[in-house]
Amino acid sequence: VNQRRRLMAIAALACGAALLTAACGGGSSSGGASSGGSIRGQTITVMVPYDMPQKLLDQFTAQTGVKVNYVKLGWDATHTKLVTANAAHEYIADVAEFDWSFTGQFAGAGWVEPLDAVLSKPLLTNLKNTDAAFTANGHTWAACYSNDFRVSMYNKKMFAKAGISSFPATFDELAADVQKLKAAGIQYPLAIPMGATEGGVTPWYLLTLAMGGQLFDDNLKPVFQSPGSPGYKALQWEVDALKSGWVSPGAVSLDDTPTFDKFTAGQNAIVLATGPGNMPTANDPKTSSIAGDAALGLVPGTTGPGASFGLPEGLSIPTTAKHKDAAAAFIEWWEQPKNAIAIYHAQGSLPCGADALKQLAASGQLQGGDVVNAELPHVAPLFPAGAPIWYEQFSSDAQGLLNAAVKGQMSVGDALNQLAEKAAAHNQ
Amino acid sequence: VRLWRHREGDRSAREAQILGWLFVAPAVAVVAALILYPLVTGFKQSIRSGGFLFGEQPGYVGLRNYRDVIHDPTSQSAMRHTVEYVLVAVSLEILLGIAVAVTLHRVFRGRGFVLAVLILPWALPSVVSGVLWRRVFDPDNGMLNSVLLQLHVISQPHVWLASGRGAIVYITLVHVWGVLPLISLIFLAGLQSIPEEVYSASAVDGAGPWRQFRYVTLPLLRPSIAIALTVGTLLAISIFDEIYVLNGTALNTRSILIQVYNTTFVTADFAHGTALAFLLAAVTAAFGAIYALALRRATV
Repeated sequence: VNQRRRLMAIAALACGAALLTAACGGGSSSGGASSGGSIRGQTITVMVPYDMPQKLLDQFTAQTGVKVNYVKLGWDATHTKLVTANAAHEYIADVAEFDWSFTGQFAGAGWVEPLDAVLSKPLLTNLKNTDAAFTANGHTWAACYSNDFRVSMYNKKMFAKAGISSFPATFDELAADVQKLKAAGIQYPLAIPMGATEGGVTPWYLLTLAMGGQLFDDNLKPVFQSPGSPGYKALQWEVDALKSGWVSPGAVSLDDTPTFDKFTAGQNAIVLATGPGNMPTANDPKTSSIAGDAALGLVPGTTGPGASFGLPEGLSIPTTAKHKDAAAAFIEWWEQPKNAIAIYHAQGSLPCGADALKQLAASGQLQGGDVVNAELPHVAPLFPAGAPIWYEQFSSDAQGLLNAAVKGQMSVGDALNQLAEKAAAHNQ
Repeated sequence: VRLWRHREGDRSAREAQILGWLFVAPAVAVVAALILYPLVTGFKQSIRSGGFLFGEQPGYVGLRNYRDVIHDPTSQSAMRHTVEYVLVAVSLEILLGIAVAVTLHRVFRGRGFVLAVLILPWALPSVVSGVLWRRVFDPDNGMLNSVLLQLHVISQPHVWLASGRGAIVYITLVHVWGVLPLISLIFLAGLQSIPEEVYSASAVDGAGPWRQFRYVTLPLLRPSIAIALTVGTLLAISIFDEIYVLNGTALNTRSILIQVYNTTFVTADFAHGTALAFLLAAVTAAFGAIYALALRRATV
C-alpha cells in the first residue's frame, strides 16, 4: 500500500508538470513592446531571406548595445512563417522581411506597424523614390532595403561568338539575335522561369509592361484577357518562345533561382528578367562559370527599350515585435549609406536610399551602373496605388494558370480568361 | 475483522483506480493540449469567415467554407489527383511489396546485404529523395533523358513532369520508391509468421508453388495486407514533399495537401484552408476505420 501511495505521489507530480507544460505552451508569447527608454542590452530578432556578414551585425551591436539574432530563411518560407505567426498574433521577429507583394495583405490585416512616425524624417525623405510600393491607406509600412527591379542580363562572350555587338532594344531585334545565337551553337539562348511559382509569373508581368500594357486598369479591373492586349500577347510570346526552342522545355518547371543558375553555368545567353543585384554573383568566379562575361541590358520593348517594374523589398516592424525601438534603430542603421553599400557587396541588395545609390555610382562600385541608371526611368510599380489586399490570391491563381498554359494543358485565352474572372471576383 | 478487511479491500481498489487515472492523466493532458485544442480551434476557424482580408465581415458562417472548397474547381482537381496518387501508389506498393517480400523470404547468399540496401530509400527524408529524383527527371541535364537519348529511345529531351497523367505517375513512382521498403518489411514479417508445416501439408496434398501462393500464402497474409493497405493509403493521401520538390504547386500535379498549403499559407485564407484540411482528415479517418474493420475481420 505504501509503495502504491508513493507511486500516486509521483504520478500526481508528473500530471501537474504535464498540465503546467501544456498551460505554458498554450499561452501567447507576444509580450509587450518596449516603448521609450534605453534599448541597450536588448536582443532583437531580424528575419530576412538573405545573408548578412556577422562583422556588420557586430558593428551595430557596438554602436547601440543591441544584440541581433539574425535569421535567414528562404523567401517562400519567410512569407509562410510570417503569415502563420501574424494570423495567430504570435511574436516572430522584431524586424521582418516585407516584400512589395505583401503591402495589401499585411497592411490590410494590421500585421505591421506604420513607419511614418517611427523612422526619422531624413530617412523617409531619402527613401521617397521607392516607398510607393510600400504605401497603403496613407501610411508607409516598410523601409526599402533592396531596390530590385527587372532588367535583362546577357553573356558578352556568347554574343561576340554569334556576331552580335549590342543587346537588342526591341522584341524584333531579340528574335533575330536569338536565331543568331542558336546558329552559333547555343541550344536554348533564352532563360525564362515558367514554373508554378512567384518567380515564374514575374516574367509575364514584365513582358506585359514591356509590350506597352498593364495588368489592371485604375479600378483594378483586369485588362489582359482580350487577344489584342499586351498581357495576352506577352503570355503568347512565352508559349511561342518555348515552342520555337528559344527557351529550354524544362523551363516550365523552373523557378527564378535555378533559371539564373543555368545562366551562370553557361547554358543560356540571355536572362530576360533578373535583378541588377545579381551582377556581383554572375561575375564572381566562386559562384559563376561565366565570371567576367555577364553584362546588363535594358529590357526590350516594341519600338525601343520597354517598361520595367520594381520588386523592392523592405524591412518592417511586426505589431507583435517585442523591442520596437531597437527594431527602428536597426532599420535606421541598415539604411545608412555606408552600411547599405556594405550590405550590397555582401548580399547583392541594391540600396534604395538616394544617398547610397549616388555614392555607389560615384565610386564606380555599381556593376552595370550605366544600364541601371538608364533602366531606372523605365521602372514603375506594378500596382501604382500599392499591391491590393488580394494580390497573394491573384499571384497564386496566376502561378497555376500561366504554368498550365505554357505546358500546353490550357490555351492562352482560357488561362487568362479564368485568371481575369478570379481577379474580378477577388476585387469585388 | 472481515468488515475491516472488506473496507481495506474497497479502499485498495479505489486507490488502484485513482492511480490508474493519475498515470493516464499526463498523457491525456498532453494529447488535449497538443491535439484536441488545435483540433477544436481549427474547426472553429473552418466555420468562420475569412475576415476583412477577403472582403468579409468576421463571424461564423456555418458550413459555407466547406461548400466553397467542395465546389471550387481547383480543389476538385486536387481531390481527383489525390485519388489517382492513392490508387497508383497503393496498387504498386501492394504488388511490388509482396513480390519483394516473397523473394527476400527465401534464404540466399547476400540476403542481409539486400535487406540493408532495401531499407535505404525509407531512411531518406522525402524531401531529399525528391531532390535526388529531380536530378533524374531534369529535362536539360537529367539522368533519364541522358540515358534515353544515348540509347536512341527518344530523339529530343522529354519534359517528364509537364504532362498531366504522366507527371502524376512519375511522382507516384518516387513516392513508391520511398515507401516500398516499409511495405515489403510488413509483408516479410507476415510471411515469416506462416508456419512451415502448412506448406509441407499442402505439398503432400499436391499443391505446386503457384497453388501454395494462391491458397496458403495470400489468405494467411490477409492481416499484413490490411496493415499495408492502411499504411500505404494514409501515406499516399498525405503526399506533399515529393510533389512540392519535383513540380511545385503546378495545377497538373497538385494534391489536396498542396492545395491546403496554398490556400492556408500562401493566400492566408485560413478559413477555407482549415475546411479543406478537415475534409481531408475526415476522408483519412474513414479509410482508417474501413481498414481497421477489415483487419479485425481478417484476424478474428
